[in-house]
Amino acid sequence: MGRRLFVTLFLLPASLLYSVFVIVPFVQAVQFSGYRWRGLSMKKKFVGFENYDKLLHDSVFWQSLCHNLLILTVCGALIVFSSVAVAHAMRPGGTVAKVLKSVYLFPQVVSLVAVAVLWQFVLNPQGLLNSLLKGAGIANPPSWLGDSRFALAAVALVFAWYVMGFYTMLFAAGIQSVPAETFEAAELDGSAGLNRFWRVTWPLLWPIKRVAVVYLVVNVTNIFALVALMTRGGPDRASEVMLTYLYEQAFTNSQFGYATAIGMANLVVIMLMALGIMMYFRKDPTGAAR
Amino acid sequence: MKKLGIGVFLSVFIGVVVLPFGWVLWSSLKTGEKILGAPWELPSDPQWQNFANAWQKAGIGTSFINSLLVTLASLIILVPISAMAAYVFAKYPFKGSKLIQSVFMGQMMVPHFLVIVPLFFLLRDFHMLDSLWGLTVVYVAYSLSFTIFVLGGFFHALPNELMEAALLDGCTHSSTFWKVMLPLAKPGLLVVAIFVGIGLWNEYSLALVIVPSPEKKTLPLGIANLTMTQQYQSDWGALFAGLVIVMAPVLIVYWLFRDKIHEAMLAGAVKG
Repeated sequence: MGRRLFVTLFLLPASLLYSVFVIVPFVQAVQFSGYRWRGLSMKKKFVGFENYDKLLHDSVFWQSLCHNLLILTVCGALIVFSSVAVAHAMRPGGTVAKVLKSVYLFPQVVSLVAVAVLWQFVLNPQGLLNSLLKGAGIANPPSWLGDSRFALAAVALVFAWYVMGFYTMLFAAGIQSVPAETFEAAELDGSAGLNRFWRVTWPLLWPIKRVAVVYLVVNVTNIFALVALMTRGGPDRASEVMLTYLYEQAFTNSQFGYATAIGMANLVVIMLMALGIMMYFRKDPTGAAR
Repeated sequence: MKKLGIGVFLSVFIGVVVLPFGWVLWSSLKTGEKILGAPWELPSDPQWQNFANAWQKAGIGTSFINSLLVTLASLIILVPISAMAAYVFAKYPFKGSKLIQSVFMGQMMVPHFLVIVPLFFLLRDFHMLDSLWGLTVVYVAYSLSFTIFVLGGFFHALPNELMEAALLDGCTHSSTFWKVMLPLAKPGLLVVAIFVGIGLWNEYSLALVIVPSPEKKTLPLGIANLTMTQQYQSDWGALFAGLVIVMAPVLIVYWLFRDKIHEAMLAGAVKG
């Protein structure tokens, strides 16, 4: 068998599956977003940018985009801050750090459905949390997921619980890779504790921070299952995010064209933010080549 | 003193991670009323029949088998075809191979949900909607990018000399791959299979759209469905037993391979 035939045959199965089930639907998605279409193949009508125009004036879409951004900034900052703190505390090692290291990915490896159901019961009006609060003398604790003031925050905190282990692992690896001599040199310079952390460790974590932020953007804009299962975007759209809104438009309202336009908008948001991150992290502040 | 402080700080995090899992485990042995009625109470009279109820009456058994079939079938198709492609990209570069490779990587950027509507109609036209085969094929297609990417790293690391020696010995290109290079990449194949397998076992959004009938539901769909149906019967015991059934296999696999999984996640994250 010639080299050329070999290469072709070996690439064929993967290319075939990828073209049919990944590339074709992607191209169609771009196309679909230009149609007004309710799923009956006869009634597909090309409307150009109508769906996008509708999107720009759809307050529910903007609201859900804002919720995504809110989770990204507030909850993202919380995740980065606490995972860096935990990773830093784990650096000297020891038994407790070892135990934490072997369990911190537990939430990340189990099904999101299980995570959602589990926390639904913790946050249930008669659940684990409220029975604790009642025991502590709070007579009327809120019904968390059923309360429009708390629903989004509650979902965001569960999301943080779910992903924390991954970011802790990233930062722990980053901190481990800082050479011990750097810490010793800093110590000789009289820099220790928090001061040393801010002046030495934090800037050196630059490549990890970039990875972490990109992952956060992708993870947060892709939030679906957690919200769909815990609150269905409610109450009264208080926790609606882009993808739950997309799902509702497509599979509840049969607005397939419009739903695809929401999907495109979601992709644009990811791309723009990724671009922004690349620009921001373009130059390594420590001057080290990577 | 400082050491103690750090120990306490980390212990709090251990508690936050482990406690919810422990709560599910002990609640799965309590009666439905007690799960919400007395959530902090330990089970005094273990209700083992919760597991039987979940498995048989609530249909979690069927879902478990569906999930097992889909996950295994996906891996059996995915791993060889990804390894073949990754091998060609790593060892047989040709004009345009870089471009093809980056097209393959593109999927990792695109959220599944963007394509969910066209994918739904594509599968409907192929009569693959509401079938476990349809779901398997979609799972394979959407795992190709990551699998090829990670395996590419493993094949790159294998020395060219081995391949050249085999070819000089009279092996064909393909027998060199199957008999020499693929066995050498076994550790890599195992890590990727475990990692992707865990992801597919847990997958929810694609399955939600692709397999609507109850008897074809995978485990995550079955659990989600149970939360809705059990509301009327309020048999929370079966639901919590179901949660244990969905979580236990991945936690066990994770525990056995945790060092390898950490490595794979870090490699994927930092290099990607």
